[in-house]
Amino acid sequence: MSAKLLLLIIKISWLSLWRNKRRTFISLFSIIIGTGIPIFFVCIAWGFYAGLIDDVARLMSGHITYEHKDYRNSPSNDLWVGDTIKINNTLTNNDNILFTKQIVNLQGVAHTAKGSVGISLMGIEPKKEIAISFLPENIIEGKYLSKVDERLVVVGEKLAKNLNIAIGKKFVFTTNDIKGELTEELFRVKGIFKTGSKEIDGHLIQSNIAIARKVAGLSNDEISQLGIIVKNPDEHEVLIDELQKSLAKNNGIFLSWQKIMPDVATTIRMDRTAITFFMIMLVVIVLFTMFSTILMSTLERKREFASLLAIGTQQIELKVQIFFETIFFGLIGCPLGALVGVGVAKWTEGYDMLNVVGGKSEDMSVGGFGMDTVITPLFSAPLIMQICFFFFLAVQLLSFFPIHLISKISITDELRSA
Amino acid sequence: MNSNQEIVSLKNVVKNYGSGQVAIKALQDIDLKIYKGDFSVMMGPSGCGKSTLLNIIGGLDRVTSGSVIFNGKDFNLLTNKELSLIRRNEIGFVFQNYNLLPVLTAYENAEYVLMLQNIPISQRKEKVMNLFKEMDLEGLENRLPRELSGGQQQRVAIARAVVSNPLLVLADEITANVDSKTAQSLLTLMEKLNKTNNTTFLFSTHDPIVKNFARKVILLKDGLIDKEEQASKNI
Repeated sequence: MSAKLLLLIIKISWLSLWRNKRRTFISLFSIIIGTGIPIFFVCIAWGFYAGLIDDVARLMSGHITYEHKDYRNSPSNDLWVGDTIKINNTLTNNDNILFTKQIVNLQGVAHTAKGSVGISLMGIEPKKEIAISFLPENIIEGKYLSKVDERLVVVGEKLAKNLNIAIGKKFVFTTNDIKGELTEELFRVKGIFKTGSKEIDGHLIQSNIAIARKVAGLSNDEISQLGIIVKNPDEHEVLIDELQKSLAKNNGIFLSWQKIMPDVATTIRMDRTAITFFMIMLVVIVLFTMFSTILMSTLERKREFASLLAIGTQQIELKVQIFFETIFFGLIGCPLGALVGVGVAKWTEGYDMLNVVGGKSEDMSVGGFGMDTVITPLFSAPLIMQICFFFFLAVQLLSFFPIHLISKISITDELRSA
Repeated sequence: MNSNQEIVSLKNVVKNYGSGQVAIKALQDIDLKIYKGDFSVMMGPSGCGKSTLLNIIGGLDRVTSGSVIFNGKDFNLLTNKELSLIRRNEIGFVFQNYNLLPVLTAYENAEYVLMLQNIPISQRKEKVMNLFKEMDLEGLENRLPRELSGGQQQRVAIARAVVSNPLLVLADEITANVDSKTAQSLLTLMEKLNKTNNTTFLFSTHDPIVKNFARKVILLKDGLIDKEEQASKNI
């Protein structure tokens, strides 16, 4: 087939699309809907997930966590990692890393006159925490910690209620140090936070890392976890391998947030699977509409194809013509669908989903972590292109049956029926 | 104009539709020769086998038995693709309903066959424009088929059929959809092409006007050639 003939066939394909404008517009509308809806859902859902992952990573121990290799199985106070000043300095100079946060975690019991509650004390660096985590912004009473605060803590709203403590009030924290010795410390409440997560608001307290180290009996070079916030969370797995090879000590291991927070990871994975399944169903329904219009447009031109075959057009040339018709459908419909999907997602940005689904923000949690219900779409160009390409490919596959029908055309029967 | 160069030779051609006791015998034991420069017409009542015979000569249909030799090539020995190439390069078709591509202009419809044959653009343009001039289609080049009258569309269809100088042009009931005046002018045009270019024409028709132009009349009846006669009009 010569280039000129191919160009003519392409021209015929293009012009044939507009012979029945209404049908072409219906087909294009189907493709736009079929591409636009999945892109809209993906932008919204993936935005929720990205926001959740980022919030959880920043609040807890980062996208990547460096900790004792046995800490995951049994997060006890005596499982710590050392030499962290050197490691931290190296990480700070890595271009792929935004922040690092040193954490000392201590499991223990908080006592007041009202009673005792099992809690998790998180020793942090206040200045960094203010820069990284959303928790300091969620102080509802009192103030967040500063570097100079020694025996001051911030506690969750629910915990404060359970212990019947308020700003300025004291409670005793009992735990084991790294040698297994029972130890106690008196803390005074500087601030009360509310994250919307029952787990965090009911069991977490934060103190300055210095006092946490002192209670645990750790040196300045020793911590429970080193949290790493990366620039591109999607590529953190690659970084883990690199860090594990170059920086990990004998008893230390770099882990991804999925391993640190498996509940969150599993919930997101399940949710993504459900959305993907739903989208595939939608795509199948839309493709059926497309299929019938493409098929109809081929069937009603059987006589025309027969006459072209009669004058010496090869079957392959007619097949190329139909194939290009669907290519044009895809080339017009898929980008328009992407524009519509992205446009609608952009339009809904900032809208609180609670207005639609109802309920309270504290009820919206994933794996025990509160979820931001305000829509913050994620516009991932590769993901949007992937969906477009998938739909484009699916539309092309639809043309296979009409193309196959070309081989079945009986020239004499079609010309006789004229 | 008639030469002794044999273009088509049919020998003992039989065409049945269906098989066994319900088989319909469309053509029975047909022997026919078409020579270069012929201007022949096949006539006969409906169902006598005119279109079937035309389809077989044009390589659109295959025989049940017998042989069709076209320009030295035995159709029985050719694949569908090879038959398609013969139709592309050596046969022109004109249909009752014109069957022009509705999305292409008159010029592009005529040019289409030349493009299939991979003729260079300069030659294509020259051939089509000369033919359009000859066929009084000048000024209509950029019109779509729907913007042309029935007669004009049929002239474009004839242009498409003859533009590549095929050995044989097969015309099936080409005057059925036009008035008698237009039919007359179409036939005059084809007769002119036959005279000037020595193009061979074979018509299948009911229309007595066509018979008036023909130099050979083949009368078919019940799938058999009833009579083959030289027409009274001699060129």
